[in-house]
Formats: sequence, C-alpha cells, structure tokens
Amino acid sequence: MPQIEFVNVSKEYDPGKKVLDDVTFKVEPGEFMFVVGPSGAGKSTIIKLLTKEETPEGGDILFNSESVLNIPKESVPGLRRKIGVVFQDFRLLDSKTVFDNVAVALEVADSSLEEIRSIVPNVLNMVGLTDKMFKYPKQLSGGEKQKVAIARALAHEPDVILADEPTGMIDPDSVDDVLEVLEKINSLGTTILMATHDQEIVNAMKKRVLRIEKGRVVSDKKGGKYRA
Amino acid sequence: MPNNWSIFIANIKKEKLLSVSNILIMTVTFVLLGLLINIVVFSQTALRYLEDQAQVTVFFKDDFTEAKIGELKDNLSKDKRVSALVYVSKEDALRIFREINKDEPVLLESVSASILPASLEVRAGNISNLKPLAEELKIIDGVEEVRYFEDVVSRFKFWSTVVYIVGTLLVLTFLVISYSVIIAALRTTINSRGVEFEIMKIVGASDDYVKVPLVHHGVFFGLFSSSIASVIMILLGVGITLTNVFPKGLGVAFLPGVFIAPWVFSIILTLILLLSGFLLGYLGSSAAIKKYLNY
Repeated sequence: MPQIEFVNVSKEYDPGKKVLDDVTFKVEPGEFMFVVGPSGAGKSTIIKLLTKEETPEGGDILFNSESVLNIPKESVPGLRRKIGVVFQDFRLLDSKTVFDNVAVALEVADSSLEEIRSIVPNVLNMVGLTDKMFKYPKQLSGGEKQKVAIARALAHEPDVILADEPTGMIDPDSVDDVLEVLEKINSLGTTILMATHDQEIVNAMKKRVLRIEKGRVVSDKKGGKYRA
Repeated sequence: MPNNWSIFIANIKKEKLLSVSNILIMTVTFVLLGLLINIVVFSQTALRYLEDQAQVTVFFKDDFTEAKIGELKDNLSKDKRVSALVYVSKEDALRIFREINKDEPVLLESVSASILPASLEVRAGNISNLKPLAEELKIIDGVEEVRYFEDVVSRFKFWSTVVYIVGTLLVLTFLVISYSVIIAALRTTINSRGVEFEIMKIVGASDDYVKVPLVHHGVFFGLFSSSIASVIMILLGVGITLTNVFPKGLGVAFLPGVFIAPWVFSIILTLILLLSGFLLGYLGSSAAIKKYLNY
C-alpha cells in the first residue's frame, strides 16, 4: 500500500499557467526518493500540496490511503504532525535556543513538559547535536542549522520527511553530514522525499529519482541519475 | 514552557511604545464614551427635575371668588393631562411673600393679602401638555395671567439633543479609530512574527494555537483601556455623590419616575465600558487575524 500517491494532480497559481500538470506517482513506505528538476519545475509545490498548504485544481493526493483533499480544516494539524518538513532556509527562530526550536513542534501539540524534556534530547542526539542544545542558531554553521530543522521535523516521529532543497544553503563540507542524517532516518523506516536540483547529490546517493520538468513527470527511475 | 499568556506578554514587551500609544488612544475613546453616557444620564435627570418643577400658574382677578376657583379646580382635576393641583389663596400668597422678603420689613409693611392674587398651580404629567393647558386657562373669565416656563425646558431639551448628537459622533469616530488601532497593532505583531507563525503552522499547530494569543492581545488592549476609563468614571461618580447635585438620584431614561443612586450608576457604567472594551478588542483582533493571517 503506497504511503503517498499523486493521481493526475494539476495545480496552477495563475489561471492558465500550470505549475503541475497531470502528475502521477506513488511512494512506498520507507522509500527515499529525490524529486528533481530545474527551478520552477514544481518540486516545492508537491511538498505544499502534501502538507495541504495548497490545494490542487485537479486530481487527488493520498497519504496513507486517505485523500488529503478531504481532510477537514481542523484535522490539518494532525496531518502535518505525520509529515515533517525541512526547508532550504532552515526556518529557525533566532531568539530561541536549539532545544526550544525543536520544542516548538511539541508545544504546538500541547505535549507535556516531561514529554518535551524526553523527546527533544533524543532527536537532537539522532542528528548529532546534543552538545549544541543550548546554543542559538546564530552560533551554528549552516549544516548544523539544517540538522536542527531536521530534528524539529522528527519531533512528532513522522511517517514522512519532506525536504525542500535541504542542502541549498549550506557549505559543501556540511552537505554530506546532512545527507547522512537523512539516510539514517530513512534506515529507521521513515519515508524521505527530497526535492533538489543538485545532480552530484542525486547521482551519489543512487536512490529513486522522479524528474519533473514544466510541471510534468518526465521520468521516474529507481537508482536513477540526474543531469541538470 | 510558553503558554498563550506568556506569548501575549512577549508580544506586548516587543512593541512597548506602540502598545502604550494604543492603550492611550483607546483610553481616550472609553473616557469619551463614559462621559457621553454620563452627559445623557445627567441631562435626563436634570430634565426630570425641571419637568417636575414645570407648572402653569394661573393668577385670578380679585372678583373671581374662591368658590369659582374651587369649581375650576374640580374640573381640572378630572382632566387626564393634569397630574397635580395646588391652590394658593391670597393668604397663602402673603405668607409666601413674607417668607421670601423677610429681610425687607419696609416692603412687608406695605403689602397685605388683598393686593396679592389667588392662584392655582397646575402640573402636567407630560410637559408637552403645559402649553395647551395654559392656552385653555388664559381664555377663562376671571383669569388675570397665566405663567409657565416651557421655554426653559424646550431649550434645555434642544441643547441636550445637540450634545447627544455631537457626543455620539465623537464617540463613534473614536471607536473607529480604536478599532483601526487594534488592527494596526496586530498587523505589526503578525508581520514581526510571520516566520514564527509559519513554522507553527507547518509543524502542526492548530488554528487556535496561533490565533488565541493574538485575540488575547486585542482583548487586553480593550479591557485595560476601558478599565482606566472606568476608574476615571468611578471617581467622577464619587464626586457627584459627595456634592449631592442630584439628591433624588439619577434618572433612568427608559424608566420614568425611577431614580438610581450614583454609585449604582457607576457600577452599571463600569460594566458597560468593560463590555465595550472586550468587544472592541475581540472584534478588532478577529478582523486583523482574518485579514493578515488568512484564517
């Protein structure tokens, strides 16, 4: 049973200008899949549609066999707790420590203080940032910031992590660290969907590659390669 | 861990100057609202007092006998427009004259009961009936003169209405300003915390989790400002009670003949102001959230 299923999905932000055009694909539980393509191809839109930040004009999106489109407004927070999202620009709060940045994800779900004190150190340990727990984002490197964002996405033990160009704003030396963390999470059973246009990363990781161009799926290959 | 209250306090601290100026503007609004309500109630009370005093006084010629006056009094007492009748005989008139002029013995020596006219004081339940009553009494044989001070009451009513209209317009203007001030204050907060709200939503915050602290923010502005205005109005109420300007109490506009103690009125006014503050804060913040947070 696929964990994520896009069925003939179309999306347009401006009338007549389709960002996604009849996109269909499936992602099985525990898969690691790259969504590749040039800027503006529609990669980020796929992520926004999955988290119900946007709604498509046509088609259907299934998550754990349930239509995302039919999820009522009050259940959207529940959906977003099952899907962790990592952004290119980290989206961390500079005024909060690493611990508090991760804790935000639990606070919004009304988790108890005990739960927060138990979960946050665990996820920070998973991404290798235990020693930076009480540092502020400004005191961290780009790679470390992205790991904090990954830890925050992991706080709810999501079924899926959606990473939107997670290596786009970090120094080359830190890219491997971030990818290593994502692979580790994937090896523990979490599905990873990573949008990128970095061919070196895609070619090195030898994972499934879904290529999108001008809003359409042009190829979908396991262990695929990508040439920008 | 942060809760709605601490998030809200952080919002206020972040924009101290803006918060203070917002509270000041809103306090002025509620003080004006309180003053307008006070003016309405005070003028209504003063009008009641005036209306109570308003009467037609009919002075009779000397040849109009007491029996005829008694007959006229009986007829008038059957008239539904008349609420009270007091007959003032020549002797009563002299007694009143002496009382008024007790410090002028020379004047008193030259006046006797025979030169003072007997009169009938006619009070109407409704002040608007005074004029027709006066007109009818004027044409009765034996009536020397009819006096009534309708003009004073009419003028008072006119100027009260002018004050109500101007006051209402002023209060409405300030309510609109305050409403805009709340929206502007929350827009600043929403803009400065835009990334935070975005993160909250993406990690699974419910709409209420994001909205409630902002609503608290608006409600706090409304309640805090209206509380300051309430304190000022209570002090005004205490002052009025101490000066005993309205010994019978304050008139309730929609309940004729009912008077309430100034301190009771102060409590009612405080509740009205606090409720207005709550509503203004709630509606303003809800509008801002809808407009700037796309909820």
